[in-house]
Amino acid sequence: MAAANEPGSSKSSNGEEKEKDETMLECNICLDAARDAVVSMCGHLFCWPCLHQWLETRPNRQVCPVCKAAISKEKVVPLYGRGSTKQEDPRNKVPPRPPGQRSEPENNSGFPGFGFGDGGFHMSFGIGAFPFGFFTSTFNFGEPRPSAAPRGTPQFEEEQFLSKVFLWVAVLFICWLLMA
Amino acid sequence: MANIAAQRIKREFKEVIKSEEVAKCAIKVELVNDNYTELKGEIAGPPETPYEGGTFVLEIKVPETYPFNPPKVRFITKIWHPNISSVTGAICLDILKDQWAAAMTLRTVLLSLQALLAAAEPDDPQDAVVAKQFKENQDMFRQTARHWTFVYAGGPHKNSDFELKIRRLTDMGIEDHQARVALSSYNWDLERATEQLFS
Repeated sequence: MAAANEPGSSKSSNGEEKEKDETMLECNICLDAARDAVVSMCGHLFCWPCLHQWLETRPNRQVCPVCKAAISKEKVVPLYGRGSTKQEDPRNKVPPRPPGQRSEPENNSGFPGFGFGDGGFHMSFGIGAFPFGFFTSTFNFGEPRPSAAPRGTPQFEEEQFLSKVFLWVAVLFICWLLMA
Repeated sequence: MANIAAQRIKREFKEVIKSEEVAKCAIKVELVNDNYTELKGEIAGPPETPYEGGTFVLEIKVPETYPFNPPKVRFITKIWHPNISSVTGAICLDILKDQWAAAMTLRTVLLSLQALLAAAEPDDPQDAVVAKQFKENQDMFRQTARHWTFVYAGGPHKNSDFELKIRRLTDMGIEDHQARVALSSYNWDLERATEQLFS
């Protein structure tokens, strides 16, 4: 921080010019050199923690602090300078959050029962996928099946019988599904 | 005070001091205390307005949550303006309320206030009496505002007629400012102002 502050207050001979360059890279909110820099779609530079706090302060009015264009957390571009050790998206780092933060409102909007994890969706998935479970053993690619029992042994008879039973159950089930 | 607020005010303070508006004596900022929570602002009355030639002092209080929330600003210098309370100095300006944006600074706030002096919004008033006068008797409003600027903000335009009327009331034991408010509110009708003061 201390190092970042210096260029702004430098009084060297070429300070004036240098200062001008530095202001280009200052966060529009804290006016300090931008850390974890992000750029809005309207082209304004911020520290990610600063912008995050701004958006948290006014959840109902998400506008760019500079030009008041509509912005959102999803539509900002992180900036990575050369040689920065971490190429991590600054948005993944959760800035110090105010207590009692709510979950994102997207989950509540739109169709109930369209998102994964909704009760209704699970239900229908279960029924649709059920009969195919019987065939999974036939479609075991890449995984060797246990070798079949040698012909003539009681185990062979048993397996033949079982596979027939399952085949009939599967056929019945498919018929039932088609009828229903 | 939160670190970011103090840090930012320090930077803005430097920005204002270096700005060309200060060089033109249009705006000014001074520190009131050492921890940058309270400042004193000054704006020059914009040219070609009744406020021309006056200097208006402002109280600026910086909240903990600055710059995510706007500073609290009010006029210390008494002023006759539809969007500024003639009693408390409270300001009705959208950017000091819901239209605040974090990239605004002390400098832009002071310049916005200066612009407000030049362009009043009588349909969104802070002082209903002034706003009514502004809409119904523009010339009376300008004279009154110019008189207030002369008395409270060091403006150049003395109005002997108004002074005389105030003298008449102060001679009756009315306090100077109270007399001016009453006369201003009644379009400098001495009779009605007296009636209101003694009713």
